[in-house]
Amino acid sequence: MILKTINLSKSFGSRKAVDNLSLTIPEGSVFGFLGPNGSGKSTTIRMMTDLIRPDAGEVFIQGKSVQQNHQKALVNVGSFIERADFYKHLSAKTNLEMLARMDGKGFDNIPVVLERVGLSDRANDKVKHYSHGMRQRLGIAQALLAKPKLLILDEPTNGLDPQGMKKIRNLLRELNNEGITIFISSHLLDEVQKICSHVAIIHLGQLIISGKMDELISESELFTTELRVNPLEKAKSILESQDWIHKCDERHGSLFVNVSPGKISEITTLLIQNECKVNAIIPKTSLEDLYLSKTESTESHT
Amino acid sequence: MIGLIYNELLKITGRWRSYIGFIGIAILMPLILWGFSYGGGEIHDEYASQLGDSFIVVGSIFNAFLATYIVMNAFWIHMPFLVTLAAGDAVAAEGAAGTFRIILTRSTSRLKILFAKLFATWIYTAVLILFLAFMCLGIGSLWLGTGDLIVFDKGILILDQGEAWIRMALSFGLAILVMCVVSTLCFMFSSMVNNGIGPIVGSIFLIVIGYIIMAIPIEMFEKMEPYIFVTYFDVWQHAFRDPIPWDRIGKSLGILFLYTASFIGVSIAVFLNRDIKS
Repeated sequence: MILKTINLSKSFGSRKAVDNLSLTIPEGSVFGFLGPNGSGKSTTIRMMTDLIRPDAGEVFIQGKSVQQNHQKALVNVGSFIERADFYKHLSAKTNLEMLARMDGKGFDNIPVVLERVGLSDRANDKVKHYSHGMRQRLGIAQALLAKPKLLILDEPTNGLDPQGMKKIRNLLRELNNEGITIFISSHLLDEVQKICSHVAIIHLGQLIISGKMDELISESELFTTELRVNPLEKAKSILESQDWIHKCDERHGSLFVNVSPGKISEITTLLIQNECKVNAIIPKTSLEDLYLSKTESTESHT
Repeated sequence: MIGLIYNELLKITGRWRSYIGFIGIAILMPLILWGFSYGGGEIHDEYASQLGDSFIVVGSIFNAFLATYIVMNAFWIHMPFLVTLAAGDAVAAEGAAGTFRIILTRSTSRLKILFAKLFATWIYTAVLILFLAFMCLGIGSLWLGTGDLIVFDKGILILDQGEAWIRMALSFGLAILVMCVVSTLCFMFSSMVNNGIGPIVGSIFLIVIGYIIMAIPIEMFEKMEPYIFVTYFDVWQHAFRDPIPWDRIGKSLGILFLYTASFIGVSIAVFLNRDIKS
């Protein structure tokens, strides 16, 4: 395990931001960290990187406590937290030189990381002249500067256009292929599903679920299934009248049905019995379904 | 550590606020020297008529040394304003800009980063005072010339030109130490907040309170004076006494050192335990 949090807790005043959170991040994984706004994701990430001191619990990176031994624990860690804020009056290159001086690893890697994020030709421009997307990429570059084994990224694609997101996604895949473990928090569930091997969901500061992405989705209590059926309206009204069908939406000429995994075959039987022609049944279960079902069920419990 | 201090100096030189003190001195000093060179004749005649019967004065009485001495007396209350302009931003500006997130997540300890910032603040303070010295003595000696320094302080002290240079160097050295206390005070406030203005206002407020306590002749305030750091801010003036009261200088510097150490201690305690939420 490259990163481990043990019973991590943090309160701000009377509000408990993170409550007894234990996470284990396997080496070589791309670990997605999900949760609604205010769920404690950023606080957790800030405790992992020693920006916030936990009230209880500890974070271990490669077996070293971040709280007890900041320097040794973070020596192989690159992080990008929330926004890419730099010294705007200085150039990208000067900013990276300042950070390289802090890392004590020389300037050799600066052209490499700038090339990697596609900013080589703008290296001498002041950061204040950079677009949002360029700053985000520079944020990734500074995280890569110390040749990390673990990347901790908090919303790295925030505010990027689809092309920008794709570039970052591809870069993260490349980095992971090179053996870098990536811990990433994002609101964009589709993005997370595309690149993550593992996922954890927290809500109200507590861990709801954690594990391998494929396993969690296949064990999901609800499946979304796309049905291509004729006549559409008739099929929709039949399905909506069944209380074991949780949701039935019409989109792009298909029906999207939310149902327990064991009930899918019953849908087919029901529609055929009612003289509807079923052309296709396509499983569409996504991380979004898993996420929504888990966070909504927690909300209803609380 | 040198690399970290260099980083901090880069940040200080990149902020326009850091230049206000230099610009102010660069504009004011030539004006003051110009005023002295035109209006100084009257002062010169008055000094000469009082001293001429008893002393042989070498060179002009109204020279760069006397101008510097007068300027230092006049500037002394205002210098803390200029010194705090950089110290206020030293830590707080990182919080405001969100750059703590890229520097405190690296494998460098917070303590090292804090000390690098403090040393850079002291360097800035020293450079600002040395710039004042250069403008007073350097430009002043070109404009007004040099000569003996005559100081009226509980009597008359006449220092020859060679001695005057030494006393000036000592007084500016002491001035740097005093202003480092001011910048450390401001630095302490800066380590607590995310806004560079608050520490400047807080520091100046404390210093003004100190000046007020010193200025009002009430018994209670007089008893408080030995415990107020502002009381020892005039230590630079001891450089112009004869003989130089080294014991008083030592005592003043000792007390200022204790205050500085306390300010640094508070900064460390606050900064090392501070949650970075910005």
